[in-house]
Amino acid sequence: MLALRGPSKAAAYTLLAFGIFIIIAPFLWVALQSFKYQIAILQGAWIFPPTWFNYLDVLYSPRSDFPLNLWNSIVVATVSTVCVLIVGTLAAYSLSRLSWKRWIARGFLAWTLIFNMIPPLTLIGPWYLIFREIGLYQTLSGLILAHITLNLPMTIWMMMAYFNEIPIEIEDAARVDGCRRVDAFWRISLPLVAPGLIAAGVLAFVFSWNEFAVALNLTSRATATVPVAIARFAQEYEIQYGQMAAASILSTIPALVLMFFGQRFVVQGLTMGAVK
Amino acid sequence: MTRSADAESPAAIEAGFHLKHKAGLVDFIDRHFKWFTLGPAALLLLFLTAYPLIDLFAMSVHTISFSQAKEIWTFTPLANLRDLFSDDIFAIALWNTLVFAVISVSVEMVLGLALAILVASVTAGKGLIRTILIVPILMPPVAIGSMWKLMFNLDFGVINQALMVVGLQPVDWLGSLSVALFSIIIVDIWHWTPFVFLILFAAAEGLPKEVIEAARIDGARNRDLVFKIIVPLMKPAIAVALLFRVILAFKVFDEVFLLTSGGPGTSTEVVSLHLYKVFFEENQIGYGALLSLAIIAATIAFLWVGQRAATAVGRR
Amino acid sequence: MKPRYFGRTLLGVAVGTFLATGQVLADESFLDVGKQAPITILINASPWYDGFENVVDLYQKQTGNKVNLEVTPFPGMLQKGRDAVRNPGASPYDLININSTWTIEFYSGGFLEPLKEIDPDFKLPDQVYALGDAHCWDAAKQFRTCKTGKLMGFPPNGNVELLYYRSDVFKQKGLKVPKTFDDVIANCKVLQNPPKSYGYLQRGEKGDSIYYDWMAYMLSYGASGVRDAENGDFTVTINSPQAKAALDKFLQVSHACAPSNAGTLSQGDLIQLIQTGKGMQAQAVVASFPNFDNPQKSAVVGKMDAAVLPLAKPDAKPGVAIGSWVFGIPKNASDAGKKGAIAFAKWFLTYKAQYAYAVGGGIPVRKDVFDSDLKQKSKFRWMQAYEDEIPYGKQVFGYAESAEVTNALGLRLNQALIGQLSSAQALNKAADDFYGIFKKHGRKTGRIAALPE
Repeated sequence: MLALRGPSKAAAYTLLAFGIFIIIAPFLWVALQSFKYQIAILQGAWIFPPTWFNYLDVLYSPRSDFPLNLWNSIVVATVSTVCVLIVGTLAAYSLSRLSWKRWIARGFLAWTLIFNMIPPLTLIGPWYLIFREIGLYQTLSGLILAHITLNLPMTIWMMMAYFNEIPIEIEDAARVDGCRRVDAFWRISLPLVAPGLIAAGVLAFVFSWNEFAVALNLTSRATATVPVAIARFAQEYEIQYGQMAAASILSTIPALVLMFFGQRFVVQGLTMGAVK
Repeated sequence: MTRSADAESPAAIEAGFHLKHKAGLVDFIDRHFKWFTLGPAALLLLFLTAYPLIDLFAMSVHTISFSQAKEIWTFTPLANLRDLFSDDIFAIALWNTLVFAVISVSVEMVLGLALAILVASVTAGKGLIRTILIVPILMPPVAIGSMWKLMFNLDFGVINQALMVVGLQPVDWLGSLSVALFSIIIVDIWHWTPFVFLILFAAAEGLPKEVIEAARIDGARNRDLVFKIIVPLMKPAIAVALLFRVILAFKVFDEVFLLTSGGPGTSTEVVSLHLYKVFFEENQIGYGALLSLAIIAATIAFLWVGQRAATAVGRR
Repeated sequence: MKPRYFGRTLLGVAVGTFLATGQVLADESFLDVGKQAPITILINASPWYDGFENVVDLYQKQTGNKVNLEVTPFPGMLQKGRDAVRNPGASPYDLININSTWTIEFYSGGFLEPLKEIDPDFKLPDQVYALGDAHCWDAAKQFRTCKTGKLMGFPPNGNVELLYYRSDVFKQKGLKVPKTFDDVIANCKVLQNPPKSYGYLQRGEKGDSIYYDWMAYMLSYGASGVRDAENGDFTVTINSPQAKAALDKFLQVSHACAPSNAGTLSQGDLIQLIQTGKGMQAQAVVASFPNFDNPQKSAVVGKMDAAVLPLAKPDAKPGVAIGSWVFGIPKNASDAGKKGAIAFAKWFLTYKAQYAYAVGGGIPVRKDVFDSDLKQKSKFRWMQAYEDEIPYGKQVFGYAESAEVTNALGLRLNQALIGQLSSAQALNKAADDFYGIFKKHGRKTGRIAALPE
């Protein structure tokens, strides 16, 4: 994008390296804590006997369900992300490109935004009722549905921004050539917003992965997700820092891997759609 | 309601795309494309958000108590309003939230935009850099709060250790009236700059390359490219990032709750923390509902400027 | 061996020895409660959870009855409990663990089944501590008392604060275990050497932390929040001269003995300072004691000892605020579940179950377990202090407005500690807050003379 040459290149790369360092350093520090016993963490020690204890305790202690929690999180975050991308992208395209009456489009967008502003605290009570009523309480499907809804506003707004960046003429030209609406969307517009689709997907995934309040309330021990499990380490009288650090690392890494492959999947899927 | 939701579920529509050989179905979808695209989202919202929102409005004008395991609703709109206007802590919390939102969001927007343009300009390793940069938003919020509290610790924290290594005095990051809110802002900036970066980076990647190339051939310098071409083109994405960052900033809870609990004194009291106390701990459901509506109203008022941005996104 | 599972192993050994030596007499064996339907218990993750889980395992093995434990992070307990009882339809849990400060909401809302309505013969064994009557409810008085109220639940533990001190340092410097707060300050003169060591640690963080730790002063100085809540007199007494004396002493101790960030010291910070060896004297909950002896978590293994909390003056009573939990049975639980829960309660409260619970890391609720051989063991050296304190235990702020009242008090005390308000101003403001809260809820309330500021 910018042509970086000579001193501006050096400055840019230094700045970037500095930014990356600031962002990654606390994470590395947390990773370091995960190899310490609690007392070494409390003392802020730099020289300490390293241990796998925290990881073993998180994964294998008899009272731990962490592998199960991780699996639940993977299912919920993946499925809800795929669904919210489909539902949200279609809605965004609709509002951005198809001729809705002004008040409908505006009303719809305002509604999503106000919903997004509701403090989760006041949401979980009514949702508990709804999900019990439809029989999805304490199920993964229920939580998936909830996360789709929670992430829908941001997905719609983001995708609208990206659709609006595409000059409308490109699609119009195709339509004049006799291309159907469906095809114009699928083969022309969608591939052009691939980077946006990835960003929206990553954010929906991240928000679902870390969502605590609703997950706590709608799940049972068998369907609890990672954030619920990690909160157990912040107890009434003690924060188990070592286990919390280990659990955070164990939670972050599969999510990074999933997102990495998810991105490639989206890109490949869209290029295939475009070529056909 | 459930049945129609099934009929137009995302899966059904997705299936429609793959059934291209059955031209009849695709043609049918094409004719009603408007409805098929907005329908699923509308149904989902109607189904899962209408009731909570209506419930919130209803509760906000009542006082709700419990007896014989049943809810008892008493209509008390004026009393609830009176509570709101005499709630000194809410006023303080609102002010703190405003300060918090203005500073943290503006710093995050600037840093996020700078990072997005920088990363979009490097030639190799974009994917890797993007993956690394989203690590903060991927960490569980409860771990972020607990771990930063450890890092800010007066006696043992890594930040004060670093200060002492370079010969400075340790700082009471969370215990000083003037510093505590600032410390929370630091954590917030660390936590959420990647969010802004991610949205803006995608927008930067989607920019038409030809336009920028043409400008460069015309002799535009980097600074002009950024301020005259790139930023204006990215306006919709910037607006969306700003919009959702502001909403998230007004909802900030975990960081404050875990780092300071709103103290010392009221120096880090924020609206969501106050709502947590009133609605949840004190079980004042009616007044709590009114309080959350007041928070929503405050967010909307704050976004009044952003409304123009929203129009820019909605209809160019 | 991994110390974490130490308790579990110890329990196994204990039970094993029991069986091996043939001490199992008919009247001493675990209670037979018959075949029961499976039950689900809502329980929080906490330091004593491991002990509880051990006991539940034992129960399942002994009786063949199934128990599901719904382990929930502490911050989610109240919400999950409310959801279970407030909504139409059957409760997903048959037994819910309720923090004693939340119990009134559950009692007065009529959400719990009085235990005698399920089993008319059920009663708590005499050996079970009263723990401030947190498990009884008098609906007419709207007050928790076992004298006139109904039995609504049973306690899984009773947590109080104890005075902890470094026995090694005390011996080395020839100090005596403090009896009064003035003794504490006298010891501080020797012990306070920041940032290397701190003379006395108490929580100062705004909210529950500071108000709970100040209770040790308030109660010992004979102050109170309101005149007589049990009989409906909510005249605000939080700005009495006794309360001011209590707050002044709290501030004096803080200034003489605490770290410079006393105003943000939370439970975690305080325990961190003890475990790293910086805290020489401290008041902290009994539940944290096992951590001090755990070499993975502590640099002061075997060096902390416990005593009764300091007093206002030598002949005063200790100010013991209980933070306990209560197991209650939701009204909307199934009949079979309710019966199963009662059966578990009977079994859980027997001497043998409580003994096993204590060995596994729980805080037992029976006096005879405290009087048993356990007290002699170094691991349980806190038990004597606990036993001496518990008769003075009180459930403070035992009325429906407690959360509002303690939130207000927690702020005002903190403002006094960080120097925003004087002690008199802080208490007068707290009194204003209290008065407003009681007025709003239609209580019979009033004021006493304001403190001169």
